[in-house]
Amino acid sequence: MKITYVLAAALLAGSSLLATTASAQETVNLTWQMWGDESDTALFTSLADLVTAEYPNIKVTPQFSGWTDYWTRLPVLASSGQIADLVAMQSMRMPSFYSVLEPLDSYIAADGMDKAEFETSIMNGLSHDGVQYALPYDVGPWLVYYNRDKFAAAGLAEPALDWTFDDFKADAIALTQGETFGYATQAFDYVAGPIALGADYFNDANQFDVTNAGYVDAVKKYADLTVADKASPVFASGAGAISGSGRFAAGSAAMYIDGPWVLLNTKDSVDFKIGVAPLPRGAGDSRFITAGSGWGVAAASQHKEEAFKALKVLTGPKAAEILASAGRALPGRLAQQDFWYDVAAKDVTGTRETLKYMFEHSTPFRLNEYWNDFENLLTQYMPLALNGDKSTEEVLSDIQSQLPM
Amino acid sequence: MTIAQETAKVPSRSAARRRNRLDIREGRTAFFFLLPSLIGVILFLVLPIIASVVLSFTNWKLLGQPAFVGFANYVRLFTVDPQFWPVLRNTLFFTAEYLVLNLVISLGLAVWISSLKVGQKWFRVIFFLPTFTPGIAVAIVWMLIFAPGGFFDFLMGALSIHMPSVLTDQNLAMQAVVVVSLWAGVGYNTVLFNAALDMVPANYLEAARIDGATAWDRFWKIRLPLISPTLFFGTVMTAITSLQVFDQIYVLTRGGPGSATATLGYAIYQKGFQNFQMGYASAIAWVMFALIMALTAFQFWMQRKWVHYDN
Repeated sequence: MKITYVLAAALLAGSSLLATTASAQETVNLTWQMWGDESDTALFTSLADLVTAEYPNIKVTPQFSGWTDYWTRLPVLASSGQIADLVAMQSMRMPSFYSVLEPLDSYIAADGMDKAEFETSIMNGLSHDGVQYALPYDVGPWLVYYNRDKFAAAGLAEPALDWTFDDFKADAIALTQGETFGYATQAFDYVAGPIALGADYFNDANQFDVTNAGYVDAVKKYADLTVADKASPVFASGAGAISGSGRFAAGSAAMYIDGPWVLLNTKDSVDFKIGVAPLPRGAGDSRFITAGSGWGVAAASQHKEEAFKALKVLTGPKAAEILASAGRALPGRLAQQDFWYDVAAKDVTGTRETLKYMFEHSTPFRLNEYWNDFENLLTQYMPLALNGDKSTEEVLSDIQSQLPM
Repeated sequence: MTIAQETAKVPSRSAARRRNRLDIREGRTAFFFLLPSLIGVILFLVLPIIASVVLSFTNWKLLGQPAFVGFANYVRLFTVDPQFWPVLRNTLFFTAEYLVLNLVISLGLAVWISSLKVGQKWFRVIFFLPTFTPGIAVAIVWMLIFAPGGFFDFLMGALSIHMPSVLTDQNLAMQAVVVVSLWAGVGYNTVLFNAALDMVPANYLEAARIDGATAWDRFWKIRLPLISPTLFFGTVMTAITSLQVFDQIYVLTRGGPGSATATLGYAIYQKGFQNFQMGYASAIAWVMFALIMALTAFQFWMQRKWVHYDN
């Protein structure tokens, strides 16, 4: 009698389990969290629709939050179990957040996906300790935006692909006239700039060593453009509306450093011709860091298999083409980069040559879990070196003393 | 005699018992009426407070499992962190400067408004406006004014006054934060003090005037002592909010340049939500709590010397 009951119960449980899996196969609703705003909804909904077109049983719903909020919410959502199935990740934040993502290597191997279709530096950027955690949708190195009209007016030749820091400095000084600065410095210049000059902020053990002679010297070179040559204004540590990009767009600075991800907006907001050039090199060869973003599968997702299928479509050729044609992203997929060059960058001189050159000379962007601390400290403390209150050495040793070891 | 005492006692005892029973019954009813807000207080106040005490003894990083680290966070705070003492000094400096300026300005405005024959209401509304304007929005507008190359720099340039850009100068940055805080915070105290001034009985002032007291004497010897309880309330509340200052700093300076405007409130945000060191941030929060408690207790102790209650 008892056994019958047990069997009946087991049967019942089994059938209900079957029922749930059956219904799961019918429609799987996946959530997809990323940064952005309402203006992005249409574009990313069209990518989500690609998934349903390929896999009719999978429906993806994008959820947006602002860039800054996104990074505050992500760990909170993850630790409270409310994280979405598909999660946007930026390469520089990977060391802090890789643990919320599912390692993708086994999925990639099982699928037979060819990793070489993606740009190498960003595939590395979206991995941690050799494990792939996300697939990229965009990529880009930091480069120099310059005002072609001002170069022409000053009678300067436009930057060569392998221009040196001395060339850059001479141009910045020559372009500084009256109310106009030759260059508008920003906090991140003290990361990308020194790397291009051949310096390193890490020691061999991947720990911060920002007081090493090479790095101090490189930072000083950039800082001197503000302190000694007065070719750049000091940037403020606050959330500056009048940052380098603002000054460049307003025409009050002739050069500034940023990534290709702002190209579309910059191009549309200025009334002069813009050009892009690689970051200036030091005595040695050029070398550039890249960053980019991608999407991964949440480690806590209930539908990892389906989420990976969706991910494959979202980072697939068709999606890359849509994002590139809209100018939203320089694709991490090599074959689709042309759409971006042809559409978003069509009026910007030198984009294709500059970016091709930079990708050929890319160097791994070295990061650790304290990267956020470092960037915040640079933003907070560099102004002191730039306004002459402290020397570059003092500022860098202040920063070093506050970095967790 | 004894019998009379006994008979007197018996009914009183039973009455007490009845009252007790009534008390219990009423208490139970009251408890159920209070339950909704009690649950709210426990869920959203008591538990988070307990949690933050516990967290301050862990190394929780928002992601992953926290491990118990004993007093390590507090030891790091007081002995290792090169930032803590500057941050504490900035917080106290801001509080002292802001508190004094706020009280002087708001009291001055309140006296001025109460002396007006017409338009008192309008001025009260005008000065109160910033109080219900979101602090972040206020700070963003001021940031645009003070930013390098912004309106303030333009103005100084037009007036041929040579001064460094406010937000990138170590000394001026904190003054910018004070100015923004004053703009946003003076109105509340102005309305508060103005209302108190209007409550001062006119016959006291009249009597003083007949006795030949000057306007100056009437202010210092009659009106000020009579509004001192309100002044005390304003002082305590302003001190507490200024020790917690965050919005203005988040928008204007992010604690910089250097550590010129880094305060405890901003340090908690930075350690907790930017660097994801929740345990350490909780430890700073408890130090801030202790500081606010101590200063408030000090103010309550000091009030005996200067606050006059009418009764």
